Amino acid sequence: MSYAPPSSPLWTALLTIVNIEPVRELVEDLRARVAAAQQGGSEAAREKHHARGKLLARERVDRLLDPGSPFLELSPLAATGMYGDPDGPDAVPSAGIVTGIGRISGRTCVVVANDATVKGGTYYPITVKKHLRAQQVAADNRLPCVYLVDSGGAFLPMQDEVFPDREHFGRIFFNQANLSAAGIPQIAAVMGSCTAGGAYVPAMSDETVIVKEQGTIFLGGPPLVKAATGEVVTAEELGGGDVHARTSGVVDHLADDDDHALAMVRSIVATCERGAGGGEPPYEPEEPALDPEGLYDVVPVDGRTPYDVREVIRRIVDASRFHEFKALYGETLVCGFARIWGHPVGIVANNGILFSESALKGAHFIELCNQRGVPIVFLQNITGFMVGKEYENRGIARDGAKLVTAVASSVVPKFTVVIGGSYGAGNYGMCGRAYDPRFLWMWPNARISVMGGEQAASVLATVRRDGIEGRGGEWSDDEEEAFKAPIREQYEEQGSPYYSTARLWDDGVIDPADTRRVLGLGLATAAADPTPTPMPHFGIFRM
Amino acid sequence: MQTVLIANRGEIALRVIRTCRSLGLTSVVVHTDLDADAPHVREADRAVRVPGYLDVEAVVAAAREVGADAVHPGYGFLSERAAFATALEDAGIRLVGPTAAVIDLMGRKDAAREVAEKAGVPVVPAYALDSDPDQMRYPVLVKAAAGGGGKGMRIVRSADELAGAVATAGREAASAFGDDTLLIEKYVERGRHVEVQVLGDDHGSVVHLFERDCSTQRRHQKVLEEAPAPTIDEATRARVTDAAVALAAEVGYSGAGTVEFLLDEDTGEAYFLEMNTRLQVEHPVTELAVAVRGESPDLVALQLQVAGGEPLGFSQDDVTLVGHAIEARVYAEDPWGGFLPQAGRAGFVHWPEGPSVRVDAALETGAVVSTAFDPMLGKVVAAGPDRETARRRLVAALDDTVVLGLTTNTGFLRWLVAGDAFRDATIDTAWLDRATLEAPGDTTARAAAAYAEVLATEEVDHGAFRPDGWRSAAAPAPLWLTDQVGRAERTGPRTLRVHDSTVTEVEATTRGGVRRLVLRVSDAATHVAWVQRRTDRVEVVADGQHTVLLRPDPFTVALADPGAGSITAPMPGTVLELLVEVGQQVAEGERLGAMEAMKMELALTAPYAGTVTTVGAAAGEQVTMGHLLVEVSPTEDAPAEAQED
Repeated sequence: MSYAPPSSPLWTALLTIVNIEPVRELVEDLRARVAAAQQGGSEAAREKHHARGKLLARERVDRLLDPGSPFLELSPLAATGMYGDPDGPDAVPSAGIVTGIGRISGRTCVVVANDATVKGGTYYPITVKKHLRAQQVAADNRLPCVYLVDSGGAFLPMQDEVFPDREHFGRIFFNQANLSAAGIPQIAAVMGSCTAGGAYVPAMSDETVIVKEQGTIFLGGPPLVKAATGEVVTAEELGGGDVHARTSGVVDHLADDDDHALAMVRSIVATCERGAGGGEPPYEPEEPALDPEGLYDVVPVDGRTPYDVREVIRRIVDASRFHEFKALYGETLVCGFARIWGHPVGIVANNGILFSESALKGAHFIELCNQRGVPIVFLQNITGFMVGKEYENRGIARDGAKLVTAVASSVVPKFTVVIGGSYGAGNYGMCGRAYDPRFLWMWPNARISVMGGEQAASVLATVRRDGIEGRGGEWSDDEEEAFKAPIREQYEEQGSPYYSTARLWDDGVIDPADTRRVLGLGLATAAADPTPTPMPHFGIFRM
Repeated sequence: MQTVLIANRGEIALRVIRTCRSLGLTSVVVHTDLDADAPHVREADRAVRVPGYLDVEAVVAAAREVGADAVHPGYGFLSERAAFATALEDAGIRLVGPTAAVIDLMGRKDAAREVAEKAGVPVVPAYALDSDPDQMRYPVLVKAAAGGGGKGMRIVRSADELAGAVATAGREAASAFGDDTLLIEKYVERGRHVEVQVLGDDHGSVVHLFERDCSTQRRHQKVLEEAPAPTIDEATRARVTDAAVALAAEVGYSGAGTVEFLLDEDTGEAYFLEMNTRLQVEHPVTELAVAVRGESPDLVALQLQVAGGEPLGFSQDDVTLVGHAIEARVYAEDPWGGFLPQAGRAGFVHWPEGPSVRVDAALETGAVVSTAFDPMLGKVVAAGPDRETARRRLVAALDDTVVLGLTTNTGFLRWLVAGDAFRDATIDTAWLDRATLEAPGDTTARAAAAYAEVLATEEVDHGAFRPDGWRSAAAPAPLWLTDQVGRAERTGPRTLRVHDSTVTEVEATTRGGVRRLVLRVSDAATHVAWVQRRTDRVEVVADGQHTVLLRPDPFTVALADPGAGSITAPMPGTVLELLVEVGQQVAEGERLGAMEAMKMELALTAPYAGTVTTVGAAAGEQVTMGHLLVEVSPTEDAPAEAQED
């Protein structure tokens, strides 16, 4: 491996003087947001839930997983701010559903747990999206799915955004059938309501547990039955555990309580022998020589302040060892091989704006990773490709397209961390969400939009000014400023990583110091799939 | 002497084999079918099958067959049977022990008492059987002349109880020993059991090897023994040792014997009780506490030497006390459950080791403990320059005395030895019979089980999935362990919180797949715990105490729900009979009736104990599949989850 020069103390000192732990503050804010969201519903709702002898969604997950298993929770801040004040009565913390990856009986699994303390566990549009995303993760990595069901079904006031479309509620069951067909176990534990469409989650599962006198499954609840046929029936008689375990056969096992149900699920997962690999790393993991917490000091909070991305890489990879590729060419894109938690990776990291050379280098490196079967980690901090007459005329679009083609056609697992800006075509070339990375995470200092707020405001103002002046009108500077301000504001709001994570444009906002662990878990998750990586077929590279 | 037949089994057979080996003698053992693979059979040079260890004819025949020069009887079995001694004498084989005549004489309490009186040995004041009950000083003890082991013994505290006690003791003696001869003696309320080890040879020499104190007894069964006696003064020691030597000399005693005394703690007087004409179970404490010419004596070697007709070769002046030794008898019994004998397969056995620790045991991993033999599994002995050192070493040794798979009294022994009463030597012979025994709690066992679970979890290399409870941008989650152990949190590299206890690791090692942990559990004291993790249970020995924590099988947990009480027709058929009516109490598994279907007779049984609430058919009735025949409502359900012992 090539020799990695040590981090420059002068550089670090300078950054420390300029920004006194700003990233640390952003991390504090992140932790506070996560802690608030992970509370779930209101205190009253949680107390009521506990009083019924039920465990909260995250308590269920903790007890379901192997002792001490990490849980790579997906998008815990989903829905934040989408339904009013995040602390207000209409908020839907974590979109009312907990999803993530953890170990159960030694198998890496996807867990989907409804949080009944949040709007009765009903499915908002974003809840559906989050559920589907978890199934996508299961499909990508061939992970058994465990559904801990406690949901009132679709959120009826928003049925138009939940029910009818391709990626709406019905897709959940479509996925269950097809995941099962692909040999990916579907296991459900009914630990509360499981009404209407929700009834299909256990019914479509391979093996199902229900908690007696607590779990219910029916297509129509007692109120609907009464309205439809006049029949008066209790929930337990209609679709309680006893009914389904003994009479209907909708479920396979009857549990005494939550803990019993979880123990049954653990035992069921233990019987899933196919693809039971745990994704153990091929090499002994080694801690980085540089403390990952040093990232707080290395990364400037202002995305415009340049810094050397190798400072980040050395704090993420095993033993801080980085085998850099083409270090002297296309220097604004740093490429090279390393290991993370014992897993080999290729790293593609922005170190400035993308030029033709950097795009070509990136495409070449991605081909290398595909040929060698090495997963790729993208460290994204990109304002875009270089613009201007000279570059356009030399065909930067052609070279940018090569990078995008390479990323899109890549067959090895890809992981993207947005560590700074994610703007324009740079997002595509650096494996944005549309390029199907296995996972995409954001740092709390990240920004994401088609272009910067200032640029967008200027572009729109120029168009507007041209229009007004073309009609012979006049547009004062004050008027222009008044026009630009809300555009800037809009971009400021929508470019926030919390705006992004609320809408599931990513799999979560992470603490930069956790990047190594998160990537390690992602790599281990991908490695749990025993299917060999196929050889790549790239699209036509425009030469 | 060339060949010695050992007419015994277990630890004492191994003990004798050890000495035979060191003396270059051939050792032959006898064994029953049950013992064909026993350690003593494996260790001996030769083994002969016999129908039973008490079969005199077979054992003598075996001795003849192998050309044994002598037979070592060990203790128990035939060791004090005069008939056996006679049979050997007739066969011209030397018994390692006194003559049949001496055995017979000392085996009878009344005769032994007379001998003692003749030798000037103080005996317990006795009353003639026909004495006036009103003239006696109570309490008195009525006991069988031929007896032992507490059978045929009655304490009488007033004149009006005497007649009844005599009648009962007589009946017991007659049935147990075939001899209803009784003695009435003064009963010593607070007594200590002190016994003197004597050795005699065929040349008229008799010496003593000081005394042992075996006051920690339960119903006359010794639990702890030590040498020398911790409470007697030099004058008393001189009195009992002199008396013992005089008694042995009086009968021309040859070999190793033990003269037992009862020390009245209120008066300081010592009374002769009986003489045991064999090697005692507790002989190791004498070997460790006494020196002969500066060396630890081997009592078995001395027995063999004397049996070979040689003189002892040393005098009383050569015998000195050099330290203190304490023995604990490990039994397969449950002290907290009425001392009921226990049986089972010892899934794991570990005996303590150490320079001042001696273990005489024959129990090893995989051995089956049956109730066919004496429930003693082994003896753990610790020695030291003084009693307190020996006592502390014994506590430590008992911490590492581990038998998994069945219940033993080790935790009880450890509790006794570590307790103030034994430390202060205030335990008299009736102390344990007066004491209320309370099973210790399982806090330490659970803490140790949790710690072992966490260590096992952490041992496996999971890469990034390392089991540290990692959560993104949040505090690590606690570790959820088995249903029995619950929540645990790592609070440091060597500390864990288990419920409300803080568990600190002092030491963690593994032996034979069983983890040995030295832990502090919320306090300054350290505890030694051995933990074996299995799919269905965690077995712990903590502070010597055996605890089994069962991991419930999620698929066999009885679901006590009303539906299970409905007995329905499993297929269409005819009801043959219904034996119950509404309101009737039924037991679990009780036959409620029968039906015939598809040419098969099907019994209908109660799923659990309860009351019949419905009878849905009558005999002769044709029923469809699923027809409700009987409904039982459960009386109560309290499924036992943890079995502790």
